[in-house]
Amino acid sequence: MSQGTSSITGRPGAPGEDLVLTGVRKAYGPVVVLDVDHLALRRGEVVGLVGENGAGKSTMMGVVAGSVRPDTGTVSIGGRVLGAGGPLHAQHLGVAMVSQEFPLVGQLTAAENLLLGRRPGKNRHLVDKRAADAVARGILAEVGLDISPRRKVDSLSVAQRQMLEIAKALGRKPLVLILDEPTSALAPAESDIVLQLARRHAAGGGIVIFVGHRMHEVQALSDRFIVLRNGRIVSDLRREEATEQRLVRDMVGRDIEAMAEVSSSQANRPVAFEARQLAAEGLGPLDLAVREGEIVGVAGLMGSGRSRLLHVIAGARPSTHGEMRLSNSRYRPRNTCDAVAAGVGLVPEDRKAQALLLDSPIRWNVTLAVLRRISWRRLVLSVRSDKKEADRIVAAARVRCTTPEQAARALSGGNQQRLVFGRWIAVQPRLLLLDEPTRGVDVGAKAEIYSLIDEQRKQGMAIVVVSSELEELLLMCHRIIVMRGGRIAAEFKRSEFSKERIIAAAAIDRVAG
Amino acid sequence: MSGASTTLGEPAEAAPSPSATSRLGRRLVDVPEIGIVLAVIVAFVIFSSINPLVASVSELQNLGVDLAGFGILAVGESLTIITGGIDLSPGSLTAFFVVVSAWFLTTERVPVLLVFVITTAFGALWGLWHGFLITRLGIAPFVATLVTYIFAAGANEAIAPNPIPINNSTFLALAGSTLFEIPIATLVFVVIAILGWFFLERTYIGRETYAVGGNREAARLAGIPVNRRIVLAYVVSGACAGVVGMIVASHLTSGTADSVSGWELIAIAASVIGGVSLVGGQGRMIGVVAGAALLVILRDGLVAVNVNAYYQSMVVGVVLLAAIVIDRFRVHSLERAGSHFDRRHPLDAVVDKAKQSTAPMG
Repeated sequence: MSQGTSSITGRPGAPGEDLVLTGVRKAYGPVVVLDVDHLALRRGEVVGLVGENGAGKSTMMGVVAGSVRPDTGTVSIGGRVLGAGGPLHAQHLGVAMVSQEFPLVGQLTAAENLLLGRRPGKNRHLVDKRAADAVARGILAEVGLDISPRRKVDSLSVAQRQMLEIAKALGRKPLVLILDEPTSALAPAESDIVLQLARRHAAGGGIVIFVGHRMHEVQALSDRFIVLRNGRIVSDLRREEATEQRLVRDMVGRDIEAMAEVSSSQANRPVAFEARQLAAEGLGPLDLAVREGEIVGVAGLMGSGRSRLLHVIAGARPSTHGEMRLSNSRYRPRNTCDAVAAGVGLVPEDRKAQALLLDSPIRWNVTLAVLRRISWRRLVLSVRSDKKEADRIVAAARVRCTTPEQAARALSGGNQQRLVFGRWIAVQPRLLLLDEPTRGVDVGAKAEIYSLIDEQRKQGMAIVVVSSELEELLLMCHRIIVMRGGRIAAEFKRSEFSKERIIAAAAIDRVAG
Repeated sequence: MSGASTTLGEPAEAAPSPSATSRLGRRLVDVPEIGIVLAVIVAFVIFSSINPLVASVSELQNLGVDLAGFGILAVGESLTIITGGIDLSPGSLTAFFVVVSAWFLTTERVPVLLVFVITTAFGALWGLWHGFLITRLGIAPFVATLVTYIFAAGANEAIAPNPIPINNSTFLALAGSTLFEIPIATLVFVVIAILGWFFLERTYIGRETYAVGGNREAARLAGIPVNRRIVLAYVVSGACAGVVGMIVASHLTSGTADSVSGWELIAIAASVIGGVSLVGGQGRMIGVVAGAALLVILRDGLVAVNVNAYYQSMVVGVVLLAAIVIDRFRVHSLERAGSHFDRRHPLDAVVDKAKQSTAPMG
């Protein structure tokens, strides 16, 4: 990383360096979200920008695109300093950005969207549709999008819209093309087109900044990798240095270790939960037993009854047949209150819709399931005991916040998830049901959630985890059951774990009855 | 975000020390009720400076009785709104109980203390019916209570085509007598408001009531008996209508069928002005009380300074609008304040902005 020489003087950058960030810093309140001493990108480069959520990628792109004004520092594009003109000036200097969601105008046609802000043809006030169509057709052909320029954007598929968005950016003939997860909505074939376009743009003397979540795509495309962490550039790697392991390590700041030893079998621990011939609408009959200190994973495709199983056990849906036992006593929840009272907790799939009081303080959220217990005479909730309990849980669940009085909405996804998890740490249920416990949280937060789960397990909690991420289940479970069509299709002990067999069991229809 | 585990409290050291004004600003954001309390005081000062009689003891006592009526309804109403519902019945029910309590007392010769009890219980029972319709039959609160709104308005006419006179002195003392110069009705209101505050902020059931309104599914999955919390709110609201019915009857010294109208809307307005969000899950008792006080002062104060009755409703409408607009600003600034501590939130905003800026409109 060429640091230092040209950074203080404010010189727009050495020849060949056509996008230069110098001393760029941006903070929101006390939080520094971006702090870059010097970064120079050259023509012909495809630069992969990677980092966790909140690492500063979006801010950096915003700074280059002119929509975020840095507190200090300068951005120079093609030798000219990006001024206070903001996005328009950046555009004028040759920056085009393609983002994940589409700021296309749905009621307008493809051509109108492509040419927003431009007016081909002679007349200054009227739109020359034919000229516009011709220009638009040219741009569309360039990205290989075979649609009529007169089609309304509303009628396009998500993938087509994404391509249109890219066409729109390229149509401006930019110097710097910023692609923010451009392939997340695309099928492999279309992704390939995008990647090719990016390559071609760089080969033609442009600069491409590529942000992607599919690591292999970023790796396949980029010549150079900038890793951001906590707003700083932690590494600047050439293609051959950038192994997946290295990138992930730099993003997270440490190697993600496999979760603490789960190999020790829990086979001689007492059974915490047992279901026999359990059935509900669209579920079962099935048998399931979970021992104390055991983590049982539930794999299966969408609609295989995974979540339904958890909801039935948690009393959130009625069961129609069968019986359940909890620590050897009959367990028959009529509703979730019964379940919580008996010692069963559920961390639901969608934390915002199903778990959080977003506009209420963190304190309210963490003590929600133990309010009665921490109340004096089981009625009067003193502020003191509430605060005390909240502080304890926030610390135990490692929720990072300024104060438990903050609204839950202000937390990041990983923090929110730990908050929901903390709610159940407070309850200490015998059986904890986790539905997609790491959905939408970044790599580092995932590792922390795994270790929280493991801590609880070690204290004897029985845990059932539903996850769409097989790696996750392979990492932390003692056993994995595979569901299909509301029933258990297969079961694997840890020694038998195999990705292929689990996927096969989840996906293949009607092999066993 | 990753790496070093800074837990609770640490980022605070990085926070800049706020100046006095921004501290006041923050407090206003955190406790929006302060603003309404200030508005109440300002309104009172203005009216009493125009017409000093507003601050006279007898006028204040009148104000107190009026406040008792609106305020008690607003306490019940706010509970139902906090659960995420609404109660349209209190106005009609109050009118109904004006007649019913007079009918118990004068026509049926029920002992006065018993009248207090059974009228309140009747109101609670009616609220239970609302709760049943809403939780068991899944009828929308608006509709379930609208039925009562219409039904009760007719029922009181049916029971008492002519006003039923009241001459029981104990009953008349409710609105007519004072204790330490404070009308009994006002004291009843104060007690009910304190109970409401205690319920919401110092009992676990109150907290669970907020949770039900804030996110019903989350409350359910956390093991909270959602239906019971909802039913309770309507029961309380119904009972409050019973109490207010008696206060109004006592004030009018008769059971008159068309005694009150539109009070449910005043109760709703008082709640909203007081910071109770119509979405549910937000709002505090002090705000509700201040909201009711503001409306009463405006109503009585405008009369006292000889403003035409037509303008009163318009003024109330404007105040309501102002309260809603201020609330929106408050929510925005709350979201911005929250974003200081959030790594995703400002970035989301940044990205959104960037997205918009890639498609400039001409």
